Amino acid sequence: MKRLFKKLAGVTALGAAIAAGPALAQEPIKFATPLDFTAVYTFLTNEYSEGQRDYITLINERGGINGHKIEMSVSDTGNQPQRGIEAYNRASRDGVVMVDFLSTPVARAMVNRVLDDEIVMIMALHGRGDASDGKTFPYVFPLMATYWSQAALLIDHMNQNEGGLEGKKVAHVFIDSPFGREPIPVLEELSERLNFELRTFPYASPGNEQSATWSDVRRYRPDFVIIWGAGGGQAVSVRDAIRNGIKPEQIHSVVWLAEADMDTVGRDVAKGVRKFQAAVSGTDTPIIQDIIKEVIETGKGAGPRENVGRTYYNIGVATMAIVVEGARIALEEFGAPLTGDKLRQGMERISDFDAQGLIPPATFTEEDHQGGGFGRVAEWDGEQWAPLGDWHTSFQDVVWEEIREGAEEFRESRE
Amino acid sequence: MFYRLSGIYHTRYATARQLWPIPADRWQVYFLLLVGVAAPLIFSNFTLTSYLLPWLIFTAAALSLNLLMGVAGQLHFGFAAVMAIGAYTSIHLVRIGVPLEFALVGAGLMSALIGSVFGAAALRVKGLYLVMATLAMQYLVDWTIINVPAISGGAQATLQTPSTTFFFVPLRSDTARYYLALLWVLFVTLLILNIKRTSVGRALVAVRDKDYAAAVIGVNVVRFKLVAFFTSSFLGGVTGAVLAFCYYQAVTPEQFTFNVSVQLVAMVLVGGLGSVLGSYLGAGFVLLAPIALTNFAVYLNQMGWLNVSANLLSHIPLMIYGALIIGFLLLEPLGLGKIYDNVRKYLLVWPFRHSSM
Amino acid sequence: MAYFFELLINGALTGLMYSLVALGIVLIYKSSGVPNLAQGAMVMSAAYVVWLVTTWGVPVFLAVLVGIVVMFIFGMLAERLLLRKMVGQPIIMIVMLTLGLEILLRGVGPGFLGAAPKQISIGLSLAPIIIGDIFINRVYLVGGVVALLLIGASMLFFRTRMGTKLRAVSDDHVSSWSVGISVERAIGVSWGLAGLSAIAAGVVWGSVQGVDWTLSELLFPAIAVVILGGLDSVAGVLVGGLIVGILGSVVPGYLDAVVGGGTRDVVTSFIILLTIMFRPHGIYGREDIERV
Repeated sequence: MKRLFKKLAGVTALGAAIAAGPALAQEPIKFATPLDFTAVYTFLTNEYSEGQRDYITLINERGGINGHKIEMSVSDTGNQPQRGIEAYNRASRDGVVMVDFLSTPVARAMVNRVLDDEIVMIMALHGRGDASDGKTFPYVFPLMATYWSQAALLIDHMNQNEGGLEGKKVAHVFIDSPFGREPIPVLEELSERLNFELRTFPYASPGNEQSATWSDVRRYRPDFVIIWGAGGGQAVSVRDAIRNGIKPEQIHSVVWLAEADMDTVGRDVAKGVRKFQAAVSGTDTPIIQDIIKEVIETGKGAGPRENVGRTYYNIGVATMAIVVEGARIALEEFGAPLTGDKLRQGMERISDFDAQGLIPPATFTEEDHQGGGFGRVAEWDGEQWAPLGDWHTSFQDVVWEEIREGAEEFRESRE
Repeated sequence: MFYRLSGIYHTRYATARQLWPIPADRWQVYFLLLVGVAAPLIFSNFTLTSYLLPWLIFTAAALSLNLLMGVAGQLHFGFAAVMAIGAYTSIHLVRIGVPLEFALVGAGLMSALIGSVFGAAALRVKGLYLVMATLAMQYLVDWTIINVPAISGGAQATLQTPSTTFFFVPLRSDTARYYLALLWVLFVTLLILNIKRTSVGRALVAVRDKDYAAAVIGVNVVRFKLVAFFTSSFLGGVTGAVLAFCYYQAVTPEQFTFNVSVQLVAMVLVGGLGSVLGSYLGAGFVLLAPIALTNFAVYLNQMGWLNVSANLLSHIPLMIYGALIIGFLLLEPLGLGKIYDNVRKYLLVWPFRHSSM
Repeated sequence: MAYFFELLINGALTGLMYSLVALGIVLIYKSSGVPNLAQGAMVMSAAYVVWLVTTWGVPVFLAVLVGIVVMFIFGMLAERLLLRKMVGQPIIMIVMLTLGLEILLRGVGPGFLGAAPKQISIGLSLAPIIIGDIFINRVYLVGGVVALLLIGASMLFFRTRMGTKLRAVSDDHVSSWSVGISVERAIGVSWGLAGLSAIAAGVVWGSVQGVDWTLSELLFPAIAVVILGGLDSVAGVLVGGLIVGILGSVVPGYLDAVVGGGTRDVVTSFIILLTIMFRPHGIYGREDIERV
């Protein structure tokens, strides 16, 4: 009985708070992040979500965006589309203006819905690469370099900074899934253009056993190796590569390689492994320092202190930084209340935004929702990821060809 | 007291053998039917599209699987693959211009054909080994779909459902999609309700109970096992197509993996093998319990009564869901349908303990 | 040719590592007739337990010993609380129960201990053992040796007093009761032993790929091993493991380039299918004769 009273009291209090709310503060901006905490993306979600939440807390502590506080709901979809659909419907009923699923299958299933409902969906570093085409996908924002851009950048780095690719051999070792296959068209196009030999080596999902694949790679004697996996399989890839005599400096990875994987391989063993970096790692940037000062040290952090500054945490912070910037521009230009359409236009007006040095300067337009495809290659030095060069972008013409093809197919199938 | 039994007697076989001979039961069914048909008017759009629609479609899937597992006694751990075949076939057919009505039938036939190949394993083994065989086939179908871009929709591996019309009603609004799903699930329900009254159904039950004894009395076991697989796969294939067009609207291979097969089997088992109402209840439970638990956990967290990390918070529904499955199986192995049956039997003669008849 | 031998040897070792998981399934099925589809999740839980103990500063080998005790008790508890009530129920119910247990464990482990991959290190260097042009994975070698030791130990165990009781129980429950063997105790012990093999599998695989929920996916190749070797045969686990491992390594080694995809799962599926179609009870399994 006591519990029932408590519950009723709680509900009444909540109701009162909701009723009293608008009278006290300006209308809150609502975001929803139904992420995948329990299935495929677990290697990433905790840190990523912590980063997102800590940044939102920082903004709210400072009074919100022009006085509007941000309410962000976090829940789990288990990578199952039906739970994603339910979470999305609930979110859109609650008046959410931005949604982030961090799950390629769920995001793909939602594309039609967000386009119809005019809610902004962000798909940082995953999902449909062709959604960079803002004209076809007005409400979908890849926000950072898509897989195509990442592959192009890695190839460019090899070509310019590691001795050139002409006549060399590149091995693309990937997990046998649509994700692993995605960069192959770009790699093949570049192999023709830059005159290098490319061979692909798939390994079976989930990638816990790759010895046969790497035996094959060893016999190919590649000059460069690209690994394209996620989660535990990445550490196995690096280990098996080193075991087969491939030097860490030859290994170039997609963005999904982080401190946890380096720990599994062995911090000293993996020295020299390269990866695509979308955001600065570590705690040295002003934004992360602010978060530490105003959120973590006041006890409002969303998770363990050790995660602050790690790769995926910073990516989470970066996604929210970009969206908040877009919301700020939207509110200034169009005024409250913030709707999905206004947010979209606000984000499309972001230009040269680098989140105080956390990310490469991103510029969005009505046509380009990728932000330019910037990134850089970083090398593991035993302690952290050290950048090899400046932020840049490569071969966007090849990338945009793929984007246009995919977008056209989408437009046709929507008829 | 709740069920008026006195004064109800039947003078003709037709009325004595109806599905619900007691008027009280019949009224309950009519009421539920009315609620189902009027649902778009009663419930909010959110409830309709997030809860009712998937529930109905997955009930149809559970019913199809129940035909195979409950009525015919053949275990199938690869039903998601059957549904996947139906979904992908229907989309490809509609894309090349076949009208939706025929595409659904075509999808069903394709699933039935491939499903019968699955069924060929049943001619050889049963029980646990059939489980393993169907499991292996599930992986094979999964692999085929992912690795043949022509099927899966290219490198993006997403296949959008084109907008179509069903018997001249455009399938664009949520209401239209809901009614298509409702139509389909009613059809499957009627089929399964009546299957045991036909000779085919009786033969299937005989095969389930003791197949060699059935062979002794003249039932063609080979034929009926294949019939079971064929029919159930047909229904499953059409259900997969309905799932694609009415609910997901974009199919990816992840929607039909082994986990979904396990979910379907859980729906049938938790609901009760062979029980139609059980399929409804089981589908609702397996589908909606994780969602309800997630929302409840988030609510508790926001209220401040459950201050744990987001990681633990998101795993709690998984733990409770696993515990619930175990609990249901331990508590009532015959499923939710049996629990309903027990309650009904109790209420039938309440406030008396039993009837003297 | 060296490529073939390398695939062969590494494949055989991998297969032995799968046998570690399969051993648990066989031990349980042998004594109680229950196909424990939660074995993958038990391997994952065992790995989490060992990892947890190592975070308290305990060296790996002591952590393994602690883990052995914990998993033994866990196995016995699982049998006592869950499976005993399901005696006599149709096999599909029991399978579903083990699947429910798997879901539960997949929530408990990553939920309480964190979902990001964790590390268990058994102190081996990455340098491979090189014979000519053949590179042999050191961790796999250790894993294979552990598997052989455990399988050998199981076979020896079945000659001891307790082991003989287990063999009697696996033959016929009623006869065992009639000669005074506590069938319940024997089944409990076999579940405990399955927990033990789960520790071995968990530590070996955990050091290869990190500890997270994907360890429970080892169930699928383990099932192939068990089906091929025979659900109730320990010798079958050895032979089945070798065959599944070798085929799963050699065939994709040549076929992947042609097909462009990871064909290992296809090979495993075909092994299961062909075995069931042609010799359902496996190589060494005992044929189930259904009495009319």
